[in-house]
Amino acid sequence: MPRPRADPISRRDFVRSAVAIGGVAALSACLGRESPDLATGPDDLSALPDRQHAWNAGLATDEYGNHVAARHQAVVLFDYAGEGTPTEAERDRVETALRSLERAYPRDHEGLLFTVGYSPTYFERFDASLPESVDLPAPEALAPFEDPDFDAADVVVHLASDYGSVVLGAEEALRGEVDSLNGVDVETSVAGVLERVDRRTGFNGDGLPADHQDVQGVPDSEPVDEDAPMYMGFKSNFSKNQATEDAVTIADGPFAGGTTQHVSQLHLNLQQWYEQDDRYHRVATMFCPAHAEEGLVEGAGDNLGETDQIAERGCPAHTERDAREAGVVGHSQKSARARDADGNPLLLRRDFDSADDDRAQLHFVALQEAISDFVETREAMNGTDLDGAVGQRQNNGILQYMQVVRRGNYLVPPRRHRSLPTPSPT
Amino acid sequence: MRRRRLLASGGLALGVGLAGCLDSLTGGGSGRPTQARVEDPPDAVYVPTHVEGMEMAGMARDGRLRFALSYSFPHAFWLVTGDRRRTVDIREADSVHLMVSAWDSETGMALPTSNATVSISQDGEAVVEKSLWAMLSQNMGVHLGDNVALPGEGTYDVALSFGPPEARGIGDLAGALADSASGTFQLEYSPSTLSDLPYETFPDRQGERDAVAPMEMEMQPTGQLAPAGDLPGRALGEGTSGDATVVAQALDAVPAGVEGEGTYLAVSARTPHNRYPVPLMALSATLSRGSRTVFDGELTGAIHHELGYHYGAVVDGVEAGDELTVGVDAPPQVARHEGYETAFLEMDPVSLSV
Repeated sequence: MPRPRADPISRRDFVRSAVAIGGVAALSACLGRESPDLATGPDDLSALPDRQHAWNAGLATDEYGNHVAARHQAVVLFDYAGEGTPTEAERDRVETALRSLERAYPRDHEGLLFTVGYSPTYFERFDASLPESVDLPAPEALAPFEDPDFDAADVVVHLASDYGSVVLGAEEALRGEVDSLNGVDVETSVAGVLERVDRRTGFNGDGLPADHQDVQGVPDSEPVDEDAPMYMGFKSNFSKNQATEDAVTIADGPFAGGTTQHVSQLHLNLQQWYEQDDRYHRVATMFCPAHAEEGLVEGAGDNLGETDQIAERGCPAHTERDAREAGVVGHSQKSARARDADGNPLLLRRDFDSADDDRAQLHFVALQEAISDFVETREAMNGTDLDGAVGQRQNNGILQYMQVVRRGNYLVPPRRHRSLPTPSPT
Repeated sequence: MRRRRLLASGGLALGVGLAGCLDSLTGGGSGRPTQARVEDPPDAVYVPTHVEGMEMAGMARDGRLRFALSYSFPHAFWLVTGDRRRTVDIREADSVHLMVSAWDSETGMALPTSNATVSISQDGEAVVEKSLWAMLSQNMGVHLGDNVALPGEGTYDVALSFGPPEARGIGDLAGALADSASGTFQLEYSPSTLSDLPYETFPDRQGERDAVAPMEMEMQPTGQLAPAGDLPGRALGEGTSGDATVVAQALDAVPAGVEGEGTYLAVSARTPHNRYPVPLMALSATLSRGSRTVFDGELTGAIHHELGYHYGAVVDGVEAGDELTVGVDAPPQVARHEGYETAFLEMDPVSLSV
């Protein structure tokens, strides 16, 4: 139901702000605004999927069958608080805390979707190494023109829900700040075992970026369209351009059923994008020059359906030619050069925009079977191989408008090993 | 001859709000027509309505690279996508036109295009972050720049992340441009300093096919290329395309940093009058000997210690009587200040008889 316009702060804006601020008071205020009427999660958790990252079945779909991202999201980083390696008792504590979340909320976009991942730093404390079936290098700069900081936290929890109060509630329950969630008792928390070291919040969904465009990186002219799910004005989660959950799942070894996760933080600088560039340039650089020439994209691009039409228009194969002859190449066009042997994308994007620190940002969360899949895709997106009239950033996809400030790599184990795993769990 | 006249400036073009803003920038109604345009300019390099001086805020070094941070009045400029041009007008909020000039200290060669991202902060608070456009200006030369809105008079910290340039370093620059670099500056911004900058209009010359001379700069190279007669190697000829001067040279020794054996074919595309490099083009070349095609391929952007920024390829010799055709696959995607925006867009091939 739309709220009356007299409401001084819109509900969307209020909830997003509460998620960004965090804490019990924000949770309380957020609950008051949202009053979600949710079923609880199951008492019997044995039917939950072994893949933590199996979110798609719980996501809404649009008229084309594209999965729609949950509207409120957070990435919460923790360090292991103990000395040496985790004990069985600590492992049980974490697992019990996670099960409390699962009992409190249904495992879908209105309830709670979450994953727990572990960094290379976390695994360094063990004598044993990760098995060869897990490709989890330390994060590194992935372009010659970027100089990011690297996440060194041990644990990352990615939380997603259409309700900000669910995201906040889960975070506070993990930290031991609330005793009950959605009317369900919280049995225990990770407090004392895991210590929160950072939190990044955000949103993905029509209208949310427009509500939060009073941030650095977006010009004062309020250019972000009300229909846009992302700050740059276009939708991104076309199902044909997403890897399937099967494809990003680790096939073998003790972590079979898990996946790897890359989490990067990007500043968005959109004054040029919205005030100096025109629609032709925006479509050409986001999608492909052919899309701009033929006027394929309406509004945020919902008209494209279940695919961004990049492969269908032969854009990836034309990348080098476009760099020479069109003087511009598209972000999707370049990125789509990274595909598996069957022509499928390597990444399952679960990214979201953010107004943290009153700055337009993108938290790029991507799942892939191996981190090398992410590296390959990012290198394709860099376009540093292109020789022609495009610059390192200028007219080279959307590189002109973003700065990568942080990168982190994580292993998202299967659910059975999600709590403080050793490198070779049994 | 078509009649050209100054378009209405200031108040009419910009509205009351911006006119007021410009008044404050220029010390109260001095009426500098920064948004002035020549009506119906030629499709060629032409004398702009006006030029402005610039103030250097500081210099920085990283290895052998040098950077200068300068500013001037906010400028209208033009961006290019393919052969499409779009105008960037001055915004009411714009305080300065911010410019980074980069060069190699050992060769003095300017680096006209690169990733160049500035993060501007004041007292630790982020103010603006943006990647600058590669730009051509008649009096300010090649630079990386954009208009920037600052919240007011004061001292700003500017962190520059630069490079690596798209063009490869060759000759004495081989390997010198492979890494990114950084620099920090302090920008003392005050509207009164800005309003004290020199300002010159060209009521009698504006719109003529000519260019304003480069500014005299003591501390930094202007980015001008050597005259054609001073370039290394054998002169193969000279032509024009889209009002750019295209100079072809053959170097019998392939410069360091270029793979292959044979003759290095170097094509220097430069602005008329001021000899600035014209970067971010896609050029290709065909070399014919009688009925035989001995080379047909792409030229790659490179920066050489004597050639400066140019486009080159290794060919299997160039002989007297050869026919060389340089084709423009894409016009320069470099941003342009007034007087360059109508040139270098429609570009025909250049054919030279060696």
